[in-house]
Amino acid sequence: MATHITHDSSPEAGSSLFPQFVLVQNGEQRTIIIDHSPFTVGRKVDKDVVVADPRVSRDHAMIVSENGRFTVVDQGSKHGTFVNGERVDRKELEGNDRLEFGVRDVVYAVFNPSHSASNTAREFLSQIAEIKLSTDTTDLEKLTLFLEAARRLNTSGVLDEILVTLLDVTLKLTGAERGFVFLKNISEDLRLAAGRNSKGESLLDDKTISHSILEDAIKGNSEFLITDTSRSLDLSGRQSVVAFDLRTVICVPLRKAQVQTSRDAPSGSGEVIGALYVDSRFASRDISAVGSDILHVVATEAASLIENARLVQAEVAARRYQQELSIAASIQQKLMTVTIPEVPFARLYGKNLSCKEIGGDFFDAVNTDDGLTVVLADVSGKGVSAAILASTLQGMIYSQLSAGMKLVDIVTAVNSYFTHKEIGEKYATLVIAKLQRDGELEYVNCGHVPPLLVCNGEVIRPAHGNLPVGLMAEATYESDKFQLHSGDRLVLVTDGVTEAENASGEFFDNHRLEKVAAESGNLEQILAAVSVFCAGTPLSDDCTVVDLLYFGEQE
Amino acid sequence: MTLKTDTRTDGGVTIVSCNGRITFGDEAMALRENLKKILAESRQVVLNLGGVTYIDSGGLGTLVGVYSSARAAGADIKLTGLGQRLRDVLQITKLVTVFEVYETEQQAVDAFKR
Repeated sequence: MATHITHDSSPEAGSSLFPQFVLVQNGEQRTIIIDHSPFTVGRKVDKDVVVADPRVSRDHAMIVSENGRFTVVDQGSKHGTFVNGERVDRKELEGNDRLEFGVRDVVYAVFNPSHSASNTAREFLSQIAEIKLSTDTTDLEKLTLFLEAARRLNTSGVLDEILVTLLDVTLKLTGAERGFVFLKNISEDLRLAAGRNSKGESLLDDKTISHSILEDAIKGNSEFLITDTSRSLDLSGRQSVVAFDLRTVICVPLRKAQVQTSRDAPSGSGEVIGALYVDSRFASRDISAVGSDILHVVATEAASLIENARLVQAEVAARRYQQELSIAASIQQKLMTVTIPEVPFARLYGKNLSCKEIGGDFFDAVNTDDGLTVVLADVSGKGVSAAILASTLQGMIYSQLSAGMKLVDIVTAVNSYFTHKEIGEKYATLVIAKLQRDGELEYVNCGHVPPLLVCNGEVIRPAHGNLPVGLMAEATYESDKFQLHSGDRLVLVTDGVTEAENASGEFFDNHRLEKVAAESGNLEQILAAVSVFCAGTPLSDDCTVVDLLYFGEQE
Repeated sequence: MTLKTDTRTDGGVTIVSCNGRITFGDEAMALRENLKKILAESRQVVLNLGGVTYIDSGGLGTLVGVYSSARAAGADIKLTGLGQRLRDVLQITKLVTVFEVYETEQQAVDAFKR
């Protein structure tokens, strides 16, 4: 039976490659790759596994490969072949099966032990690289085998190990002295990713390679080959070639596999992600004899291996990032949860209808000796950046309110903080209002939708206002005052309310807001009116309404 | 992308006409980059927002950001073609006190020549 290790793209053949066989003999452990079929065991010296014990028959047993499965076949041995303690004539093998040949316990083997999966990819690939194949297997076939295995391992995402093994195999196949893989980093610079010499040593220094050839290969996006520099005419500018007496240099660009987008697109024109470089100093190790198809296969496959490994790495990073984000989101949510203080002279309500994306609306309330203060802010933009800014803003305002600072001073401090930090076009509009026990309302409007003062069914929209916070460093802020009487309300909304759209693109707008506020001033009714108006059109921005009802001074 | 810009010059003044929506994200970023390039060559820019159907808070932030950095670099941007909504927004945010706003493009261009 000829060797079964020939390349076949069918999955059966693929999955049957290279089972392992851990042989324990006289207390010593050896790992054997079952790289051909039949794989023989016996006392005769020409057996694949020779056991020199009289209880083992000369032709004891063999392991044969059939359709990707492996079967142990007893060859009429005197003392029998055992699988997991059971004497068998013939048995298909499973991973971790324990095999014994005549001499139980003195020598045994474990077929495809599962701990081999915990070997690093590097070890596994090396084993593959060292298999002896029948002589009629071409280099290209060997290479394809290796790559086949490497690709399957690639899900482990161990890029460095893949590169090193790839180089070792390439050097073995080409007979070149040194090999390097260069990869482009984010800023498109070529960086040495791995280097090996034919002795299997790591090369960390790329000074002695021909960088001009490397650059030419990358720039020209084509293979660069000098098979014999002694006969090459134009070596001007190739200082390394001359200085280090490089006789043979091959440099192949690594191209990202490209999905063909149009029929006209030339194949193989994928983006260059790096280069594979091999060289030799000696004419005796002339690698020009190596078919260039081998290097092409290496380059193509290496690029896809690298790309896959990078994708795996990126996915792991993205997953971690997602986890971090969801933690951040839950912290954000807890920070934004408002405990509404209870005071005898007023009652405060606040409600938020969130759109799909994280918005930058928040409201907060702080009760101090001199009154109840409510803040409603809308940070520009959406998403994480808006949420971060909202949290910071909320924290600053809360602590300054608790410290008893004046409203104008608070917004001035916040503005100078955000403009000083140069966070780039991020700002917030906000209203901060303090209601005293006696009904005096002081508020500062920083570029926000004007508040609604609802007094006896009449709605007042004061024109007072300032610039938003975070836009202009030199902005100054002023407050406005208003006297509330028992039963009066202050209603604050974000522009998500006035700009809530219906299906025909109309805004809810101020007149509708004022109408419903005049009718009741009640927060629930305002939000209900918005919902009715939108009639199912999804909100494009957060809608927040704050409703502060003054009871009058209680004795 | 729902924002298109169109650039021409009148004397030494560069007129940038915007059509579409200026919103947080791609549009605002594209407008910022575009104006940055223009401001590298021209000190006098008129921004005609006549074709702008919608501008959100992020877009407004971009306008202010570009305006501030232009002023800091010794250049100037004047606005024209403001629709009612944008006027309202500038009024509410008091940014009307920051920008120079003109009724017509010609008035804005002439203001540079004075």
